[in-house]
Amino acid sequence: MVALIVLFLSGLISLFLAFAKKPWMVLSTAIAGLVAGGISLFTEYHYGYQLVGYEGLKFDQFAVFYGLIGILFTLLIILSGYSSFKQNLNHTGDYIALLLFSLTGALCMLAFTDMFMFFLGLEILSIPIYVMAGSKKEDNRSTEAALKYFLTGSFATGILLFGIAWIYGGTGSFRLDEIQTFIESNANHQPMVYLGLLFLLAAFLFKVGAAPFHFWSPDVYDGSPSIVTGYMAAVVKLGAFGAFMKIFGMTFGGLHDFWAPAMMGLAMLTMFVGNLSALRQNRFKRLLAYSSITHVGYALLTLIVQSDESAFNLWAYLFSYGFSTIALITVALIVNDSEDRIESFRGLIRRNPFTGFVAILALLSLAGVPPLMGFFGKYLVFAEAISSQPLLVVIAIINSGIGIYYYLRVVILMLQKQDANAPQTPRHSVPALQFVVLIVCAIALMFGGNMLIF
Amino acid sequence: MILASIFESGVSIQFYMILASILFGIGVLGVMLRRNAIILLMCIELMLNAVNLLLVAFSTYFGTGDAQVFVFFIMVVAAAEATVGLSIIVLLFRNNRSVDIGLFNKLKG
Repeated sequence: MVALIVLFLSGLISLFLAFAKKPWMVLSTAIAGLVAGGISLFTEYHYGYQLVGYEGLKFDQFAVFYGLIGILFTLLIILSGYSSFKQNLNHTGDYIALLLFSLTGALCMLAFTDMFMFFLGLEILSIPIYVMAGSKKEDNRSTEAALKYFLTGSFATGILLFGIAWIYGGTGSFRLDEIQTFIESNANHQPMVYLGLLFLLAAFLFKVGAAPFHFWSPDVYDGSPSIVTGYMAAVVKLGAFGAFMKIFGMTFGGLHDFWAPAMMGLAMLTMFVGNLSALRQNRFKRLLAYSSITHVGYALLTLIVQSDESAFNLWAYLFSYGFSTIALITVALIVNDSEDRIESFRGLIRRNPFTGFVAILALLSLAGVPPLMGFFGKYLVFAEAISSQPLLVVIAIINSGIGIYYYLRVVILMLQKQDANAPQTPRHSVPALQFVVLIVCAIALMFGGNMLIF
Repeated sequence: MILASIFESGVSIQFYMILASILFGIGVLGVMLRRNAIILLMCIELMLNAVNLLLVAFSTYFGTGDAQVFVFFIMVVAAAEATVGLSIIVLLFRNNRSVDIGLFNKLKG
């Protein structure tokens, strides 16, 4: 709870500091706020103190561990986007404040104990991102992405609320623990609960971008400014999956037989749709979007297989996925091709050896090559699922095989020489903050995996 | 007289459920079929209001107040959402001189 207040206040302060037209002040406020938020989140959990009288939010182990990586990802994203934020002096504060407000919503979505807070968290998470997606005002593609994201997002919110209303009608409560006891104690459930559950499932699949509700995500990822794409892939997905795990993994665990078959079919569909569409992409962010759809398919495995390890495995998976995405988005910002073609990565390793090296690490980690972090994330998920869902794991492994093809295509492009006739691309300059982000991502991708296992 | 007797006996909860479902269905169909961005926004509002109706009906049925509080939250959030949505539509209109979503073809693949 204190963490939420700290993050919100730091967002508010950076909004006002923008009047001073000194972007470094905004940046340092944001960093201080994020660090203080992280510390207060951890101490709140460790010493177990709570703000008096309010039970809508509970920072248990789940919320704190998911929340801490959310804060870490936001910190990395703000650092890597700083050079593009400060180009527009009038709006530096706005960008950073919106990211911080959105993070506050993500924390609500990880810590809620009733549907009020879940709904509010979801909206606090989404609304700033609708604005951020359209922040390149003169660019038609950005506006189009913002409107598509807004329409699909609020449509999903409507479906979600309809689901919540039916569940309230069936169980008579908004509190997760009361709903859970109701479901576990009444063997003969009301049809209203099932109806509500279907609507909730559809809304969640919309929000995480799983097939057949994925159609918005490539367009939105492609059109939004790169840094917002990174935030959507890393933090928004983290919040949505955290709430998904809380509601379907824990509260509705008693109805597992009802929703798991549907989710199994959709997980398979998601993997194939994402992979097969990614094969023929020429734009880098579109490729990332389809690859993120595939990764959603793998992450859904943790929800289908219910065990004590599920929450941890999902956490590990999102952790490894987020680092790879942030590294790739930072590289895309450095290469900074306005057309966003994959072709612009040709010969990157010769021009900027370190940037190219981190990009290759991130791509191989997404492909799941050992000993990088992505491999361990996949390993944990698949190893948990193999005993109860062997078919699903076989399909997931086939899909990882397909995935290697399009990740390696980019890697090979980076290793190739540039044409002698073509105009030579000059060496890209790497701002210091983005360099720091790349170093952190490289270290995490190389050595983070071993930490997940032990 | 007929109206008074209906109010005294109370309309049964099923009617509210059916009405809310119909409203929600109209909203969903509108979002899927219409091409005008402002009408889409109105249809989304209609979906939210169907939810509000359903929640209030359940709240009266159970005799608890918490769903009514939820309804206020939904109204506030819907207002915030409409603000952002309308400003995005204004931005769109400035670029395209139209709010027809059929013009959205720059992002494909």
